[in-house]
Amino acid sequence: MNSGYPKWAPYVLVAPFVTVFAVFMAYPMLYSAVMAMQQTYGAKASQFVFLQNFEYLLSDPFFWKAVRNTFVFAAGSVLIQLPLSLGLAMLLNQPQVRGRVIFRLIFFSPALVGTVFIAMMFGLMFNKQGLVNFTLHGLFSGFDPVYPWLEQFVMGSLIIASLWQYVGFNMIYFLAALQNVSRDLSEAAMVDGAGPFARFRNVTIPAIRPVASFVVLLSLIGSFQLFELAWVLLNNSGGPNDQGLTVVMYLYQNGFISFDLGYASAIGWALAILLMGFALVQHRVSTIGEN
Amino acid sequence: MASTPKKKMKPGTVVMYVVLYTALIFCALVTLVPFAYLFCASLKPSAIFFDNLFLPTGDGLFGIGWEKMNFDHYKRLFSEEGFLRPILNSTFYASVTGVLATLFAATSGYALAKFQFRGRDGITKLVLAALVVPGALLFAPVYQMLYWFGMLDSYTGLIIPALAPAFGVYLFRQATVNSVPNEMLESARIDGCGEIMIFFTFVLPLIRPMMGAFLLLTFLGCWNNFIGAQIVLQTPEKMPLAVAINQLRGVYGTDYGLIMAGTVVSIVPVLALFLLLQKEFLSGLTAGAVKG
Amino acid sequence: MSRLFRLIFLFVPRESLSVGGWIIVGLALSSSIAVLSWPIPQREGLEFWLFSKGHAELYQVKTDQWNAQRDPDVHISLLSNESLQQRMLASFLSDTPAADVIEVERNFVPQAFTGPIKDVGFIDLTDRLKEEGIYDQLNGPSFAPWTSRGRIFGLPHDVHPMMLAYRADLFEAAGIDLTQVQTWDEFAEAVRPLVGDRNGDGITDYVISMWTGGGFRDQLEALLLQAGGALFDEAERMQINTELNARVLATLASWMVGPDRIAVDAPEFDPQGNQMRLDGRVLVALMPDWLGGVWEMDMPALSGKIKLMPLPAWEPGGRRTSVWGGTMLGIPKTTEDFDSAWTFAKHLYLSEELAEGLYRKHYIISPVKAFWDRSFYDEPVEFFGGQPVGRLYIDLAPQVPLRTSSPFNTYAKDRVANALYLLKEYANENQKYKPEELMDEAHRLLKSSEDLVTRQVERNVFLRSEP
Repeated sequence: MNSGYPKWAPYVLVAPFVTVFAVFMAYPMLYSAVMAMQQTYGAKASQFVFLQNFEYLLSDPFFWKAVRNTFVFAAGSVLIQLPLSLGLAMLLNQPQVRGRVIFRLIFFSPALVGTVFIAMMFGLMFNKQGLVNFTLHGLFSGFDPVYPWLEQFVMGSLIIASLWQYVGFNMIYFLAALQNVSRDLSEAAMVDGAGPFARFRNVTIPAIRPVASFVVLLSLIGSFQLFELAWVLLNNSGGPNDQGLTVVMYLYQNGFISFDLGYASAIGWALAILLMGFALVQHRVSTIGEN
Repeated sequence: MASTPKKKMKPGTVVMYVVLYTALIFCALVTLVPFAYLFCASLKPSAIFFDNLFLPTGDGLFGIGWEKMNFDHYKRLFSEEGFLRPILNSTFYASVTGVLATLFAATSGYALAKFQFRGRDGITKLVLAALVVPGALLFAPVYQMLYWFGMLDSYTGLIIPALAPAFGVYLFRQATVNSVPNEMLESARIDGCGEIMIFFTFVLPLIRPMMGAFLLLTFLGCWNNFIGAQIVLQTPEKMPLAVAINQLRGVYGTDYGLIMAGTVVSIVPVLALFLLLQKEFLSGLTAGAVKG
Repeated sequence: MSRLFRLIFLFVPRESLSVGGWIIVGLALSSSIAVLSWPIPQREGLEFWLFSKGHAELYQVKTDQWNAQRDPDVHISLLSNESLQQRMLASFLSDTPAADVIEVERNFVPQAFTGPIKDVGFIDLTDRLKEEGIYDQLNGPSFAPWTSRGRIFGLPHDVHPMMLAYRADLFEAAGIDLTQVQTWDEFAEAVRPLVGDRNGDGITDYVISMWTGGGFRDQLEALLLQAGGALFDEAERMQINTELNARVLATLASWMVGPDRIAVDAPEFDPQGNQMRLDGRVLVALMPDWLGGVWEMDMPALSGKIKLMPLPAWEPGGRRTSVWGGTMLGIPKTTEDFDSAWTFAKHLYLSEELAEGLYRKHYIISPVKAFWDRSFYDEPVEFFGGQPVGRLYIDLAPQVPLRTSSPFNTYAKDRVANALYLLKEYANENQKYKPEELMDEAHRLLKSSEDLVTRQVERNVFLRSEP
């Protein structure tokens, strides 16, 4: 593989990307790392404070609240959303299903809607007099007809909205993985007389493992960046008692509402470090699983 | 399971059918309800917008006041709000970014997968690190760079920063590892093909599903990008659709019907594209996900 | 187009992309041509950013007038509030040009005051305002939110006095004369008979739109200001855990829980809130002048059913108004033509034409005191049952409380709004429904809010080091 090509070839191929990356990603990343060690007030003024921002961060109750909320959301996304996606993919993958294309399209379609609009739509539906309460009260007359979802069940509401947005999207990954394997292997297993559960464990799971670990990682990264959905849904705030405050929202509040970009950068880097840790752990776990 | 449908159906199979379709149709309905809500809302005049959850009641068919609904919001979008220009702008911004970002990601993904050169590992690591950095962190320095380069209030300023798709490079690296055989590259070189030509004529067709998938993903991302566009662009004529719709959301008062109509308008084009590209989208995404 | 594609196919094999992919490539090519050939009018002159569509429509007239008569031309850009704020911030940060004139909302100005006074991104207008006599022509309290350490950084747009709006039709039908009410306690007592399932849908209906959370933090601040409380004094010293604030919080919490509950969550600018207003499931709201225009636009069906009265006072004989919202025109330091920007700002904000337009369209009264005797303010307004709305607000204008420009005010406001939420929950759990029973907890919660704000304030090295 390292033979027969001119030395310049790889450099030419990566050059466009690397140039843009260096200017618009790497440099800003560096810049924000420096900023994380400054106090920047009123935007222009700044003073170097070394690790003071991080020190403050560690004892900042709101940061920890944001971290906790974000974990809850991420856990909800991974533990509820992905099994749902997988289940849906397995249903759709049944050979008897007619109109698979239509179903697939329907399930995927929420991913085509911009997040701001999803938040606005769900804001209308979760309202005390909204569609959700109307339906639930209609089905179960004991259900509080004016249940305050966005006051008492904030994270749950966010998880539900993001379920709608992403279950179909993640389903596509699983579906594709299932379609790559099922035919031959599954049939072979059936010939061997394996029951559905044994087939699931021995054929399906190993087959979708790489895709699954990839999707888990993507969902984690995605849910740790939760901001726009919560921000619009909760009326540009963290919601009552900051039940919906997320890490990126806290970053945004500090950077763009309090104009404290130094602290905002520190929050961003704390999140990045956290996510890198996750990626490493996840990488370890999925490699261990393979061997 | 009934992999051979010619066999006579057993009662168990019938039950399974029922369960299967009930589950699928239920999920489909749950998915569609918000869309139905959205669409109904876009047809209701502002005066009766909140009178009913879905459709206005009346004396028409099914007890629905059909006569109360109309396409006025849509007409208004195109006449008063001049939505044609934003739609064109969005198409331009999303498709050009999509094509260029896909091309850049494909060449570097290919290079990272199939060549050995100094800096390769460094780039790979940086690409992975960039995946976890929250975008809001970079906004101020990016703005400053755009100013230095004189790219504020121009499409270049919006498009160029989007041409470093770390996620895309990662996907294309995986796709290349998985579906481009080394032997083929070697034999092409022995035949005397130039490197650029090899990429375009041999490599591209092999990673075609990923091309389609990533094109669509990028297109979608740009199509719905709102904050970025509003910060970089300043001239009203340059604004994309997402901004135009958000503009309808006034600080003092909001015309919900109009916004819902705008949302519907913004969904239709991407829905059409998805229909065209869904096959590759499916296989492309997995190609990137499978370990290489 | 097809020839272009044939050319592309020479280099890139057709199989590289599916039909859909090629369609996107085709879109990219054709839309590029279309975009490049669709001319964009070249703009030279001053850039003017604002966030309110209603304002933009009115300003356009004055701006066209200016452009026809004077140089340089002014161009209006309408942005979302978030985008405006982020662009402004980015330009302050990187010292890159923003607009020449920016209209900024009250919640997004004080942050620009966090640093040393010489680093504030807006031009200090104090001396000009005083030399040109503008300072004395405008309503005094209107300058407060744009003033930091004695320096003024913006030209005020409004006064925004607050009144109480109520469903006159339904109160009349119930035989309750709200205009006799002098204090909030009397108000609560007077409206209590109206609480109940008024429309027979099985849900209890309440009276006043007031709740906890982000959507109501501005109303909460207005009520604190009315009581004489507020979170920072004129010297920007924090005063959160005070007797007055605790009393307001305890009273508001007592409105929200228990057998004597009168308040309900019916947020402004919100479809469900509006629906409740239309259905008569909520009858009373706090109404600054600008909100009337919003109601009229969003809920035309309420026309003639709403009336205004001065806010009930917290103490007998106390203040009968408050303030909510507000904008200013600021001129960033990066402008290249301050004189024109300043002249334009005055041309716009100090014009009688605009004052009349703002009033007729949005019921916003001008801060220019000389216009207050104009007859258009006396005309009966149909939406408000024939009341002379302008006159009512103008009569209250001198009583409008002063507001702080502390950069920590937004933060403090959020913390106190949260304290109210917690107090409401506490009242609910402990079944304490009387304001007196809630005072201790209110103090405790305000204390912890104060501690959090203090922590935040003490981090700021600049404010600390400055005298």
